[in-house]
Amino acid sequence: MNNAAHFPLLSLILFTPLAGAILLLFVNKRSENAIRWIANIFAAAGFLASLPLWFWYDTKSPAWQFVEKLPWIPSIGAQYFLGVDGFSVLLILLTTMMGVIAVLSSWTAITTRVKEYYVFLLVLQTGMIGAFVSLDFLLFFLFWEVMLVPMYFLIGIWGSDRRLYSAIKFFLYTLAGSVVMLLGILAIYFSYHTMTGVWTFDVTEFQRFNLDRNLQWWVFLAFFLGFAIKVPMFPFHTWLPDAHTDAPTAGSVILAAVLLKMGTYGFIRFSLPILPDASREFVPMIAVLSIIGIVYGALVAMAQRDWKRLVAYSSVSHMALVMLGMFALNPAGLKGSIIQQLNHGISTGALFLIVGIVYERRHTRMISEYTGLSSVMPVYAAVFMFMMLSSIGLPGLNGFVGEFLILQGVFVVSKAWAAVAATGIVLGAAYMLWLYQRTMFGTVENPKNEKLPDLNLREVATFVPLMIMALWIGLYPKPFLDFLDTSVGAVVARVSPQYSGQAVTKQADCPENVAVNKFVLAGCETPAAAPAAPPPPGNVQPAPGSTPPPATPLKTTGGQ
Amino acid sequence: MTPITPAHYLVLSAALFSIGLIGVLVRRNLIVIFMSIELMLNAVNINLVAFSQQWQHVVGQVFALFVVAVAAAEAAIGLGIILAFYRNKETVNVDEITLMRW
Amino acid sequence: MPTGYSANDLVLLLPEIVLTTGLLVVLVADLFTGRSRQHWLGWLTIGVLVATAVPIVALSGHATTAARGLLAVDGFGAFFKLLFVLAAAITVLISRQYLEVEQARPGEYYFLVLCATLGMMVMAAGIDLITLFIGLETMAVSFYVLTGFLRPNRRSNEAAIKYFVLGAFSLGILLYGMSLVYGLSGTTRLREVAVALATQSDSLALKLAVVLVAAGMAFKIAAVPFHMWAPDVYEGAPTPITAFLSVGSKAASFAMLLRLLLEGLPAMAPEWRGLFYVLAVLSMTVGNIAAITQGNVKRMLAYSSIAHAGYILIGIVTATPRGVTAMLVYLMIYAFMQMGAFGVLALLRRRDVVGDELKDLSGLFFRRPLAAFAMLVFMLSLGGIPPTAGFMGKFWLFSAAIEAGYVWLAVIGVLNSAISLYYYVRVVVFMWMREELESASVHPSPGVAVALTVAVAATIIIGVYPAPLFELAEASAKTLGMAPRVLSLR
Repeated sequence: MNNAAHFPLLSLILFTPLAGAILLLFVNKRSENAIRWIANIFAAAGFLASLPLWFWYDTKSPAWQFVEKLPWIPSIGAQYFLGVDGFSVLLILLTTMMGVIAVLSSWTAITTRVKEYYVFLLVLQTGMIGAFVSLDFLLFFLFWEVMLVPMYFLIGIWGSDRRLYSAIKFFLYTLAGSVVMLLGILAIYFSYHTMTGVWTFDVTEFQRFNLDRNLQWWVFLAFFLGFAIKVPMFPFHTWLPDAHTDAPTAGSVILAAVLLKMGTYGFIRFSLPILPDASREFVPMIAVLSIIGIVYGALVAMAQRDWKRLVAYSSVSHMALVMLGMFALNPAGLKGSIIQQLNHGISTGALFLIVGIVYERRHTRMISEYTGLSSVMPVYAAVFMFMMLSSIGLPGLNGFVGEFLILQGVFVVSKAWAAVAATGIVLGAAYMLWLYQRTMFGTVENPKNEKLPDLNLREVATFVPLMIMALWIGLYPKPFLDFLDTSVGAVVARVSPQYSGQAVTKQADCPENVAVNKFVLAGCETPAAAPAAPPPPGNVQPAPGSTPPPATPLKTTGGQ
Repeated sequence: MTPITPAHYLVLSAALFSIGLIGVLVRRNLIVIFMSIELMLNAVNINLVAFSQQWQHVVGQVFALFVVAVAAAEAAIGLGIILAFYRNKETVNVDEITLMRW
Repeated sequence: MPTGYSANDLVLLLPEIVLTTGLLVVLVADLFTGRSRQHWLGWLTIGVLVATAVPIVALSGHATTAARGLLAVDGFGAFFKLLFVLAAAITVLISRQYLEVEQARPGEYYFLVLCATLGMMVMAAGIDLITLFIGLETMAVSFYVLTGFLRPNRRSNEAAIKYFVLGAFSLGILLYGMSLVYGLSGTTRLREVAVALATQSDSLALKLAVVLVAAGMAFKIAAVPFHMWAPDVYEGAPTPITAFLSVGSKAASFAMLLRLLLEGLPAMAPEWRGLFYVLAVLSMTVGNIAAITQGNVKRMLAYSSIAHAGYILIGIVTATPRGVTAMLVYLMIYAFMQMGAFGVLALLRRRDVVGDELKDLSGLFFRRPLAAFAMLVFMLSLGGIPPTAGFMGKFWLFSAAIEAGYVWLAVIGVLNSAISLYYYVRVVVFMWMREELESASVHPSPGVAVALTVAVAATIIIGVYPAPLFELAEASAKTLGMAPRVLSLR
């Protein structure tokens, strides 16, 4: 483990938005433009602070990078432990980028209680980044729950129509899932202590630890509830259309682009590597739920008359595809799943922005209210066309790369699943194209639409980064895939060792303080520490690579 | 003649306690409820004194004296509270205590 | 056992001695204070409490007994004594403004608050049945009067009557149980009781005694099905007293319960474990479900405090060092968040407006953003959402349950805390998302401001950096007499 930045970069990224929120508290609530400027500056600063991750992250090194470790609650072994791998780097960059876009897109959309709005948005930003950088399970859970409250307020205060209902539904649904997840975390915590005598919430330790199979099964279910509600997987998806529909635009964008990724992030970071045996056993269940989700989401989306609800259901379908790719449990499927998570963030985030723009002008989301917009708002129509094509996976744009990899991964596991998933993708193209046709083409029938102004410069600015990203991932995905090599390799080595030759595997760091022999540390069997009694064969993780490096002391900035 | 054993005291005390307990639950007049509670406390005192006799030391009697003292304090406070209520409401019937759900 | 009192006892009992002297000073000072200068009495009371805290802290490192073995002087007692002093101080700070609105004389009020505090301190330190009983009654009698302190107010009258009748009734039950314990063991010293009863755990009379003691204490902590007094008393009592009652009285009763069970009746652990398992599940579930339907915030907080008693009982069910630590942690956190929530409610009390209905909170954010923020923090904390202290407290409790193997208890607990968010969030909805009510602005006095600031700061700081509190609670829980014995009986 190391920290290439030699200063607490992750903490800087993490707390920049929070600092902005705290600063905003001291600004007079009537100087709204000052508040907007401050929020934008801090969101942008957060993005700039996260850029070094892209340049300084060593894609060849399997170790956790930019690590910071400080004691937090020593009596129970919880630490302030931050670190990233390629997967979390991409999600952090996505989060900070979407943060800038969300804040920028709210400039004119939010006119009431401006100060609180930006405070909540920035606090939410900190919560999301925190969840992606935490390598201590308790710390992760803390940030995971912190996200709920600002999101609740964003929906409940600045939402539309049934905002209170949707907000509380979102809140209670996700809360119910996460409290059960907490019990799962505690189960691992105590089991780890029983086996090793060490109290810790260190995720990197848990990832090397072979939990009892029976316990894995229960913990997987507990985690599943927490993560599947967040994804959301069918049948836990019912909060999503309501929350999306009633949230303000920026809320929907953040919700779709980042919050939903929490669930998939949780599966890949925690469920798969910590509970590999249970993960394998649950593949059929998750595959079936995902397939239902893909088809069901697409069909229901097709039947929507509300533009935003349609996009929300498309999210259900897309995220189900992400889950299916993930639980192919092979490198292609996992990589596709992660790339598709980024794609979903970019495309669906953009689609919500697109709805938001006409909603801000007309205050209705009914598809039937809009026809022939392409003649009044040509730039808008072009942007929409671009993002729609990205969403349905046109080759050359980002969606294609992710879907292709997922299908490739799934195909290896089951041809039937791949076939159904492909059907879902076709259906996805159908409802999107139909939506486009209904809203953009034809003649302007509603006189209210005749004078709609086209995108202004600020609005274009919110789309430009998304379009660049869509093109970049679509045409040259290699840098992104390179980022994922080691992290996907580590997960695959844990959950389906038979593939581990195909990818460079993350080299496990060998801890000095753990009583050896009680369990097997993947990649840690140095001759000196070789167990007297060989562990049972079922537990052996194939040691990847050649000779593992000897344990090196942690290089951290926080000191310890 | 059968001698009076500790068991006899215990039966008496249990009976007294039960009478008090039932009185609290079924009576409707605050003063009577209050007296039923005193019965329960006296049952306790009988217990304590009987056990004190059995163990041949005075701890139980000391305990009983404390209970008597505290019961007196409670009586003073309790009657004061009931009086304050009576001044406002002109009744000591618990069925009339209706401002909040009972 | 030492046969007489020594000068050393005077040192060991210094917190109680200082407090007793102080409360007499307050009572006398009241006689000589004119009506216009009565706010000085509040600060005098605060001074007494601070003076009491000093010897408590100084003595917290001891592990001995005082007054011929009637009182323990240990970390466990010191932890609770500090909690009571803190709760009493917050009560006094939020009382002045409230009493002025109610036009009540503060002199006896402060005196009684200090008396109740003294009773609580004895409850936390007592290791003798008689001492515990006297402490309990000192506290209870003070609270009977305080609950009915607003004599012209009928709700206050009724609350006092209900509290008094059920309090005295529960006392009778508890004492009957205690008399049986004494009869079977031949002593009132808890540590000797434990030794004497170690061999006769299957005696029927002893089981009856345990049930009676448990039922008597369950009244005091307001655990279902012995909770019916709580909503009415909480609603009718003056708001600061409701706060003190729900925090101080509950914490003191838990301290006494721990002393009774762990120091006196460890041999009966299987019996009382089962009893409190049922009580915990019932309290959590019934408390939360009933709270959902309440339109009066004080009543809602009453039911929520019943639910919280259920969570805290988890610690007793486990009876492990971790469980006891969790109870200490939770009670301390609960003191801040619950006192804070009632502090905000007390602010809403104005002439002609009772201010404890949910609708009275409408649009509080627009009138008093800071008070609304404080209430938001307290509600989230009561619901157990990080980064507030309430989460850390629940985390300890549920982890203790899982460690001790009570996984289902933990599952019921977390599901209940998810349910509870529904009604806590409703308060937030009224404050932040409803239109402003047509009413005068409430200006917090410096005392209320100080109290709320302390409570909010503590709730957030403990939520983010709980390590000091955890370590303090862990060290304090260790000093509780027989805890290891119980553990070995599992």
